[in-house]
Amino acid sequence: MKEAANAIEVEHLDAGYPGVTVLRDVNFTVRKGEVFALLGGSGCGKSTLMKHLIGLNPARAGTIRVGGLEMTPANRARILRKIGVMYQSGALFGSMSVLENVMLPLEEFTRLPAQARRLLALMQLELVGLKDAADKMPSDISGGMKKRVAIARAMALEPEILFLDEPSAGLDPVTSSALDDLILRLRDTRGVSFVVVTHELPSIFKIADRCAMFDRARQAMVALGRPCELRDGSDDPFVRRFFNRGEEAPAQPPSNPESGVSHGE
Amino acid sequence: MRPIVVRSADAGEIARLWKQVRKVRWLRRGEEVLLDVSRLTVATAAFEAFFLALDRQATAREVTLRAVDPAGILESIRARYDFASYRLAPAARRGHRSFLVFVGESAATCGSSLRGHLAFLGETVVTALGMLVHPRRFRFGDALLAFERAGFDGLLITSLIGFLLGLILAFESAASLRMFGVEVYVADLIAIGLFRELGPLVTAIILAGRSGSAFAAEIGTMKVDEELDALTTFGLPPVRFLVLPRVVAAAAAMPVLTIFSELAGLLGGAIVLQLMNVPAVVFWKHVTAASTLFTISLGLGKSVLFGFLVGLIGCACGMRTRNTADGVGVAATNAVVGGIVAIAVTDGLLAVVCYLLNV
Repeated sequence: MKEAANAIEVEHLDAGYPGVTVLRDVNFTVRKGEVFALLGGSGCGKSTLMKHLIGLNPARAGTIRVGGLEMTPANRARILRKIGVMYQSGALFGSMSVLENVMLPLEEFTRLPAQARRLLALMQLELVGLKDAADKMPSDISGGMKKRVAIARAMALEPEILFLDEPSAGLDPVTSSALDDLILRLRDTRGVSFVVVTHELPSIFKIADRCAMFDRARQAMVALGRPCELRDGSDDPFVRRFFNRGEEAPAQPPSNPESGVSHGE
Repeated sequence: MRPIVVRSADAGEIARLWKQVRKVRWLRRGEEVLLDVSRLTVATAAFEAFFLALDRQATAREVTLRAVDPAGILESIRARYDFASYRLAPAARRGHRSFLVFVGESAATCGSSLRGHLAFLGETVVTALGMLVHPRRFRFGDALLAFERAGFDGLLITSLIGFLLGLILAFESAASLRMFGVEVYVADLIAIGLFRELGPLVTAIILAGRSGSAFAAEIGTMKVDEELDALTTFGLPPVRFLVLPRVVAAAAAMPVLTIFSELAGLLGGAIVLQLMNVPAVVFWKHVTAASTLFTISLGLGKSVLFGFLVGLIGCACGMRTRNTADGVGVAATNAVVGGIVAIAVTDGLLAVVCYLLNV
């Protein structure tokens, strides 16, 4: 089978729930080995879009291709083997220790012997700096640690693409920065592509190679490109306000008035 | 030992190669193992685990591990992980304890739990006494809502169980009493049995299953969501705000439910005796003769006490909910089990007291 050129391709996607459209005509690609951020204010549809990308919600219209496979019920199981997801709360299983949480996908999807599974899980925990917490229960670790364990669990099966829902939310700046460093290290050492849902500006500028921005009022993607280029060169008032932390910035000359999408590339 | 040639780093190949790790265990000190990774271009997590395990086993056996690694894959793995910190033997199983430790820990847990329940009982009683001084602080609205859920919503199920209880009692006892030609005394048996013992007992068990667990789950969920902390920081004591209305509602609902259950039980017994050609008038005459005011009052008094216990234990279990995935489930289970045990023990004690007082 021919290897896909992009990690994810989204074409003319209408995102939403049955009877409700949240975003219309969304188009973007996520390249292999890049960190791609989905940006926007609260309620703009970032998490809804992510649910479409990971196959939890069917697209209302348009197509999604993940790792070269179109997101259809028939392909869903194969796509799920290519992706890992970290949910906002970590979503660790409370009745299992940290190590058992990381070992769970290995037990279900590999034929590795028990000793190998344990070592592999411990190594994932070492990568996220939590090897010493292997025997702790999720209730005994902090929110930031839970998120890192969730990344280790998602990484255990070596997915091609990792989806992170608000990785920095609720974390202190030091922990948040450490998590950003981890994402960059995993991208560089493992070649993993990341799709990150966030609205934390420091994190966006640190980790995102490119980003797409969504506006709730227009129900649309309003910008696509490198974060610095969007901040410095976008003609869209919403984008400028977002990157200027809610304060209006001086207007830039329009770059692409016909499409309604600012391109920073 | 033959060289270990790694052809691919995927999990299937690594699973196949893993027996080589075990083989190293049988090598003598100073022997040599050759690991050939020249065909690999990239390492997977499974291969990294395999290399680490091989390295640790070789180090433990003092065996020399030589590598054919033109791409420097093994060195990059060594650079990422602290190999010396890994042990190959699996960690001791969690939860494996000696019997003595188990007994000791269980006793300590029971003692701590009992102390916690007593403290909670004390706090509730003190709060209730405070309500007598300041009745306007009592949350009547919440109590009414809890009464509706515990009492009114449970009328059908308690009446049905009471009806079946009377029916079964009548059938089972009539078979024996008929041999002596005194099946008419089934009415006395049902009346005394239901009013004095079975009515309050069975209704309380249903209340523990329906409402005790619901109280524990409601308060437990609130605790997990930090709503109890929010109440406390607002200066609203959770016992006054959440516990007292529910306990009062359970204690008030129990006599109502018990009366309905007992009446349904009498109806069930009357139907069976009707089938045995005992007229309803005769049945009613025997019931009224056997049921003294004391018997009925004793039953209703018990029902209030049982309702209080069910409400109190349900709320206490909710307040002690642990912040884990199974915390609320465990609290609800404890509420039902604790409630039923408390009802049975209290009923037993009351039976002994009644016997000693000859009432």
